[in-house]
Parts: sequence; structure tokens; C-alpha cells
Amino acid sequence: MRKALVIPLIALLSLAADCAAASAASSSLAAGPITVGVIAPFSGPAAEFGTLLSAPCIAATDLINKSGGVLGHKLQCTSVDDTGDPADAVPNVTRALATISNFDMAEGLETNTAATTIPLVNGAHIPFVTAAGLTGYDKTKDKYFWRLTPADDANGAAMIAYAKQKGYKKVAVVFEDNSTDTGNVPGINKAAPKEGVKLAVNTTIPADATSYSSLVATLIADHPQALVFDADPQTTATFLSNYSQLNNGKLPTLITATDSLTPDWYSAVAKAVGQSYIFHHVALVGSYFSQSTPAFTVYKNALLADSKTHGIANTLSSVGPPASIYDGLNILALAMVMAKSARGSVYNSDVTKVAKHQAGAEVVDSFAAGERALAKGKKIQYVGVLGAVTFNKYHNFAGAFAADVFTGKSTSRRSTLISASEVSKLLG
Amino acid sequence: MHLLIESIGFGVASGAVLSLGAVGFTLQFGISNLLNVTYGALMSLGAFLGLFLLGHGLNIWLAMVLGGLMIGASSVAFSRGLISPLTRRGLRPFSLVIVSVSAGIVLEYLIVVVAGPATQSYGNLSGATLRFWDFTLTSSQVIILVIAVALMLGLHLLLTRTQLGRAMRATSSNRTLAQSCGIATSRVSDLAWLISGTFCGMAGIALAITTESFDFTLGSLFLIPMIAAAVLGGVGQPYGAMVGGLVVGIATEVSAAYWSPAYESVIAFAILILMLLVRPRGLFGSGSARRLLA
Repeated sequence: MRKALVIPLIALLSLAADCAAASAASSSLAAGPITVGVIAPFSGPAAEFGTLLSAPCIAATDLINKSGGVLGHKLQCTSVDDTGDPADAVPNVTRALATISNFDMAEGLETNTAATTIPLVNGAHIPFVTAAGLTGYDKTKDKYFWRLTPADDANGAAMIAYAKQKGYKKVAVVFEDNSTDTGNVPGINKAAPKEGVKLAVNTTIPADATSYSSLVATLIADHPQALVFDADPQTTATFLSNYSQLNNGKLPTLITATDSLTPDWYSAVAKAVGQSYIFHHVALVGSYFSQSTPAFTVYKNALLADSKTHGIANTLSSVGPPASIYDGLNILALAMVMAKSARGSVYNSDVTKVAKHQAGAEVVDSFAAGERALAKGKKIQYVGVLGAVTFNKYHNFAGAFAADVFTGKSTSRRSTLISASEVSKLLG
Repeated sequence: MHLLIESIGFGVASGAVLSLGAVGFTLQFGISNLLNVTYGALMSLGAFLGLFLLGHGLNIWLAMVLGGLMIGASSVAFSRGLISPLTRRGLRPFSLVIVSVSAGIVLEYLIVVVAGPATQSYGNLSGATLRFWDFTLTSSQVIILVIAVALMLGLHLLLTRTQLGRAMRATSSNRTLAQSCGIATSRVSDLAWLISGTFCGMAGIALAITTESFDFTLGSLFLIPMIAAAVLGGVGQPYGAMVGGLVVGIATEVSAAYWSPAYESVIAFAILILMLLVRPRGLFGSGSARRLLA
């Protein structure tokens, strides 16, 4: 009889210990939700990005909260306005870190302000997911940095690979002169000679000029087969309009990054040169993800279900960066569950464990499925919208690339795939 | 040679828009001696008013005139409601500049509150592309050029052939003396603000037509080149502002064609600095008189 009681007693004691640990971990949390800081511009000229970067947070937290939250706490997306200006970002983010309770996760930290916001959040030991493509973070030492989108130079190389696939031998490269867009150029410059693609023109342009006609006249004289281009909505509209005016209404194929496709960009370009151009002649190059997986369906439905994201769900679900943030937040949340702690310094080391392939791990494609498996004591591998994620030692993941064409009815059509290994070879 | 002539043509087209704004700016400065930074925000407001009027079925060119007049009225209200009271209280010129900067920021964010931060567009209004000799211009660019020339001609006639024009020049030259000669300087000042504000509003709408898309920062982005054009031509000199606008426009387009578009603004400002080093009064400024057409 005594022996029969030993095993259940040990199990009971283990369970009590686990509850105590969980209680201790969650008791380090104040009452109220766990804050997911969305650090992005919510005011100023770049305010649109705040809305776009909030959407994947809303989708992820809606689903996580539906399954009961993390460690007994709901998750809440809280805007932290960096205004798109580093000078304003520092005091705003510092204030947020000091005053917002349970600030245990973050996302956003976009390119324009990353140099100032990343050190602050990393210094506060808060794990964060960013879609900033700066190549300076390819070998970052920031422990709490996690990125599931490729660096800009890889995207640039993928654009040239796409041009080669389409048979373009001569392209013009024009980027707006800011850090976000010109980050693609080093990859383009490395890839073009290897792919045998001639760069007719390779230049940057200032934003928001009254006219780009002189440059356009030079471009037209060189007869490029395609334009590799990236700029803000206004600049793009003015440039393409000038091109159309000077070229008898004709425009070459535009190869641009997927994160160009914002509602503002779409509206500005459609009004300047027509919707039909976007639907038939604009190729959007960025992270590949399948739009036919259950994980994608859940993600898109979550965007459609929330009134705050419904209106932009179709556009947003066509492009990689928001999906990378959605997956990243799910991974961080599962790491919290695995570590039984919401403290960044504790759960950060579990992030790779949640995502990596390991023998005997149950493959899960949602937070709810992952939480259930962890509760049963199983190992898990989160495979979400972007597919299987393998972080390198610098906490970066860059999978394959795809070129999509944005069609009518706010959906996109997959044009072609470019493998991660091909891009890696082009970057040398 | 073909490229040079073509880029000069582009420069004249964009310079005409800059000239429109620069003339209004220099007229305002000539009367008030105020570096009015709110001018940029008022240009943005003009562009949004144009959008509103266009959305209510008005023809764009009529919208340009009406929108311009509305901004003219706003400028008078700004002058009477804020600048004049502060000037009477003895606020220093530098402080007035800061007030105008603040008012400009407030106005821009009011535009955001009403119209939102998203990029707007009048749609494609460029019209047919016209080619003559080596010049290539759209029909809307030609119309804007004609409007700009007509307005400047009208301003010239106003300043030189009318009593009001003489009163404006007298007020600009010496306000106290003008008052003692029986000139109603405050009314003259109001009219100058109305005219310069109208130029400002029309410049905002012309910019929105030319760039095909805009947001609330439109005016701020072009304020510095417009001020540069005004200074290049000689502060307070409308003819100078006209020529200054053309010089800035042509310099930016030619440098974009032959050097790099990334440095087009650098070229324009370098020319400004060189001009001021050689001729500090600007192209049309004179040593004896400080202000309008003197």
C-alpha cells in the first residue's frame, strides 16, 4: 500500500512545485495584462506604418487571449509612438519602458528609428520582434533581438534574381535616398554581375521633388526593360507619372519590395498611373510564405475578424513583414509559457527551443496548439505562416523569397519563388 | 544638347510653381518684414482645399482660383488675429518667427485631424504631353506656366500702375512716413496679405497637381526652396522671386540630368550661396531701397 502511494505522491509534489513556480513567475507580474509594445510611428508623415505594424499584434493577441492568454494574463498591444524620428523616439520609448506595467514583449522598431529604439528595448531585457531590414543587424550582439524577415541587401539580391528569371537583361535601379530603401542596393550591386543583369542606371533620388523628369528622360533613353524601384507613395506617384508622360503613356515593369505595398502607396500609384499598372506590371519581392496553409488561414481570419484590422486585412496578408511579426509574437508567447515566466531575461533563452526542429517535437501551427502541447509536457516546434523558422546564432531567420503580383479584389498572385540558397550565393 | 534643352524645359515648368510661391512669400515679407514660416502650412491647406473643391465637382482651375482666395482670406485672418497684436505688444522679430513656426505646426496637425495623415491625390490631371522643339511639357504644366505669368504680370501692373500699388510700395519702404502721408497702412497691409496668401494657396494647388500626390507636409517640403528663390532674387522683390524660382527650378533639373538627382537640391542652394557672396542683395535687390520694387 505504501509503495503504491509513492508514485502518486511524487507526482503530486511535482505538480505542487510546478504550480508554485508558475505562481511565483506570474506573481512577478503586476495585475493586469502583459503589454506587447508596438514601437512604431503613430504620428507624423510615417503614421501609416504604426497602423500596419499594429495589425499583426492585434491578430496574434486576439488569438492568444481567446485561448486564455499567457500565464493567466491577457496580452494587450500598446502603441509606443516613435514618430519616425530618432530624436522623438528616445524620450517616448524611454518613458514607455519606465511607466508601462508588465511591458514584457515588443515589436515594430522599424528601420528609421531602430538605431535608437533597439538599444533601449534590448537594454531593458525585453525580447522583441522586428521587421527592420538594416544589414547592420545581420550579426547583431543584441540578445533580445529577433528577426524573421530578410535583411534589405538579401531582398535586393532577390529582386535581381527575379529580374533574371523573367529574362530582363537591362534594368534601371532607382531608390529613394533613405536608409530603408537604399539598404537593398548593396545586394543589387553584388547580384547583378553574377546574374548577368546590366544596370542601365543605378541612382538614388530625393523624396517628394516637384519633378523627376530629367532623370526619367535619361532613363528612357537607355531603354531599361524593368525598373528596380523603391520609394514612398508620393515620390513613387510623381516618378511614375513623369515616366508615363515622357514615354507616351508606357511604363516598364516595376520590381519593388513587398513592404512597398501599403494602402497609401497603392492609392497614390493607382491615382497617378492607374490600377491596371499595379495589377499587371508591378512585382513585389519579399519573404515567401504559402497562402494555402492552415496557419495562414487562421492568421488572415484573425485580421478579418477584428474591426481594427478588417479594412486592411487583404493587403496586409499579402506581404511578408506583418506575417513575420505575427509568427514572432506567437513564438515569444510560447517561450513565455515554456519558461513559465514573463520576464524577458528568463524566457528569452526558450525562444529558439520553441521554433527549432527537434526529434520528438510536436509540430504546432498556432499558439493554442503549442500551449496545449506544452501543458502535456511535450516538446514543440512552432511552424506558422512563414513555415519552419530556423534562427541563426544572431537571432535572424531569412527563408526563401517570392515575387507576387497584386491582383484585383485585394489579393495577390504568386509569380515565382527564389530560394534562400540562391540569394545567399548571390550575396557571396 | 537635346537633354540640356529638355531639362531646361522641365526646370521652367517646376520653376513656375516655385516662382508662384516665392512671389507670394516675398510680397508678404516686403510688407510685414516677417519670415512667415506658416506660409508652408498654408500651402498645404491650399492643396487640401483644392481637393475638397474638386471633390464637390468644381473644375480644377476654378478650384485653384477659389482655393487661392480662401487661403488669402486665411492669411489676412492670421495677420490680424496673431501677428499684428503680437507686433503691437512689442514682440521681437525672432520671437515672431518662432510664433509663425508654431502656428505652422499647429495648422499642419489640424489638417491631419480633419483630413487624416494619408497621402492624397487629385488623380492624373497632367493631360496630353506636348512636344515642341526639344521641350516636352504636359498641358497642365503649360496652363500653370500661363497662370503664373499672368499673375505676375497682374502683380506688376498692380504695383506700378495703381494707387494701391503705390501705397503698398510706400508702406513697404517706410511705414511711418506712409501713415503720415495719409495712407491707410493697416488696410494696405491686409490687402498685401490677401494677395500674397492667394499666391500661396494657388502655389499649393499647383504643387499638388504637379507632384500627383501630396500629404500635410507638402508646403513644408517646398518652403525652403521657395525662400531660397525669394532670397536669390532679392528679398521683397517680386520680379526677383520670379527669376529666382526659375533659376532654382532649372538648376535642379539640369543637375539631375548631368550629375545626380540625389544632389539636385545641393546645386540649387550652392548657387544661392554663391550669388549672395557675389551680390548680397540678390539679383534684383538694390542698395538704396529695401522693399517692394524700390
